[in-house]
Amino acid sequence: MNTHRKRSVSSFLLTSLTWIIVVVTIFPILWMIFTSLHSNNQILNGITTFSLPKPQWVNYINMWDTVNFAIYFRNSLLICGATTLLAGSFAVLAGYALARFDFPGSKLFGMSIISTQLIPGIMFLFPIYLMFLWIKNTFGLPMINTYWGMILVYTAFYTPISIWIMRGFFVSIPRDLEESASIDGCTRFQAFYRIILPLSVPGIIATGIFIFLTAWDELLFAWVLTTSSDVQTIPVGIRLFVGQYNTRYDLLMAASTVVTVPVMVVFFMTQKYFISGMTAGAVKG
Amino acid sequence: MRLHTEKNLPAKASSGKRGLWRKRIRENKFAYMLMVPTIIFMMLVHLIPMLEGIWMSFLKLNQFTLGKFLKAPFVGLDNYIGLLFNSDNPVRQGLNFAVRNTAIYAVIVTIGVMIMGLMMAMLMNRDFPGRGIARTAMLLPWVVPSYVVGVLWGFMWQQNGIINYFLVDVLHLFADKPFWLMGPNTIWAIIIPTIWRGWPFLMVIFLAGLQTIPDDIYEAATIDGAHKLRQFWHITLPMLKPVIAVQLLFQIINNVYSYNIVATMFGNGAGYPGEWGDLMMTALTRQSFGYWSFGSGSAASIMLMIVMLMVVGVWYRAFRTELNAQ
Repeated sequence: MNTHRKRSVSSFLLTSLTWIIVVVTIFPILWMIFTSLHSNNQILNGITTFSLPKPQWVNYINMWDTVNFAIYFRNSLLICGATTLLAGSFAVLAGYALARFDFPGSKLFGMSIISTQLIPGIMFLFPIYLMFLWIKNTFGLPMINTYWGMILVYTAFYTPISIWIMRGFFVSIPRDLEESASIDGCTRFQAFYRIILPLSVPGIIATGIFIFLTAWDELLFAWVLTTSSDVQTIPVGIRLFVGQYNTRYDLLMAASTVVTVPVMVVFFMTQKYFISGMTAGAVKG
Repeated sequence: MRLHTEKNLPAKASSGKRGLWRKRIRENKFAYMLMVPTIIFMMLVHLIPMLEGIWMSFLKLNQFTLGKFLKAPFVGLDNYIGLLFNSDNPVRQGLNFAVRNTAIYAVIVTIGVMIMGLMMAMLMNRDFPGRGIARTAMLLPWVVPSYVVGVLWGFMWQQNGIINYFLVDVLHLFADKPFWLMGPNTIWAIIIPTIWRGWPFLMVIFLAGLQTIPDDIYEAATIDGAHKLRQFWHITLPMLKPVIAVQLLFQIINNVYSYNIVATMFGNGAGYPGEWGDLMMTALTRQSFGYWSFGSGSAASIMLMIVMLMVVGVWYRAFRTELNAQ
């Protein structure tokens, strides 16, 4: 009886602790949304009440007028979308090769994929920037301020880690499936295409979301490699916005909310796949 | 089997081995075809730029020689020597502070996210009312883009901001409202948001790891009279060690190369946070592009990479047994 009671008290305390941490954790996000519904004067005076006098929805209209947010949005969607498609397909192919074949060079390939993660991005930044300038000067092909320049860089950057995630996923699919398929007369490609690919949809979705979220978040290369607002992405736009209107917190918080919410929606719609896909590789190694 | 015969016939071994090699390449044609696109892209955007970067670190690359790119004057180790010993070198400006801050930042953030992630994974591994909602809510910070994290926390850290409201007006921890975005406090202003954004991911990974530990181990331990703390120390931690090892390395790398939060939190987007908030990435980018000093910039990034390789070496030695057991 006594131990039972002690256990339920400690259980209550742990549950309360958990919920306190949950509230503290999501508070900044709620605060962002809450602030975005205030006028700038209210914000600059400091908001200290948690009741909202009159929601300033107008911030969500003004933010599109003050900066060309629609263009940044389009650019981000285009660049991140294309990157996701390309890097995702490469990762599916190479991840399968690494998971299933023990070919000469497979160890080296696996190692070089991991070691790319060790190299600081800045190590590529200077050469890529100068190489892009050089390509323009030598061949007349513009690379800076182009979609394909950004997509090329992002695809190459996010492919290695995505290969690793996909590899982890393919390893968790039993080999017998392909063996029985080859007995039934399937070629290796058919076995991959008809049997393994449909089974790996959760892993592919997980990898795709991972690439998209990482690309959506990239600032350093976008900042250096794009200077015209025709191709600049949201992170660059937000940074420029802070520089130009650093006291317009009403618009800044509205913009922050607008770029965060779609990502959250996509993430929570696909959460189940994402978490199982990511952890399949991470836990099983 | 085949290897055995080769061992017995040393005279033929080399040609046989080469033949075997060729045969294995032929057998795995499909695997190579699958890797072609990746290899092309990685050559273009990993291998070639990296070799160029190494070469550039030996060149005098400034605004006058920029157009020559790889044909700029060769200066040997001058860039390295300048970075290490010449305090007038523009890329060197403030680099000492940036190195110190990056070390403090990477260590505290890594430890912070690991401990928070593990603690929350264990709390979430219990059954309690609303567990599904709590778990989903916990993941929210992870989905917030890091440039938004910089903007949002930069706003919250303001002297009349919400954080000071809680700390001073509600909890009375300080007599006066401190400045978080100036002076030595700055380092906390970047550490805490990074931990906030980083630990939900570790919670997910650790939670999955915890669920692979069979319950009967804990039951047996309870019967043997081991209390919770001992169970944690002797069952949970050792079982999670391979997962912890991998995540530890990824965390160290991510945090040393951190850029976005500082870049958007300070200097109206210029990304200069002062002596106590500057990180390697922000300092190197700002100085190299500010002074068009790409030779020194490349040399600095190569030195950083060498340090990171040593870190990985230490990491591998520390966790060798766990990694090989997998």
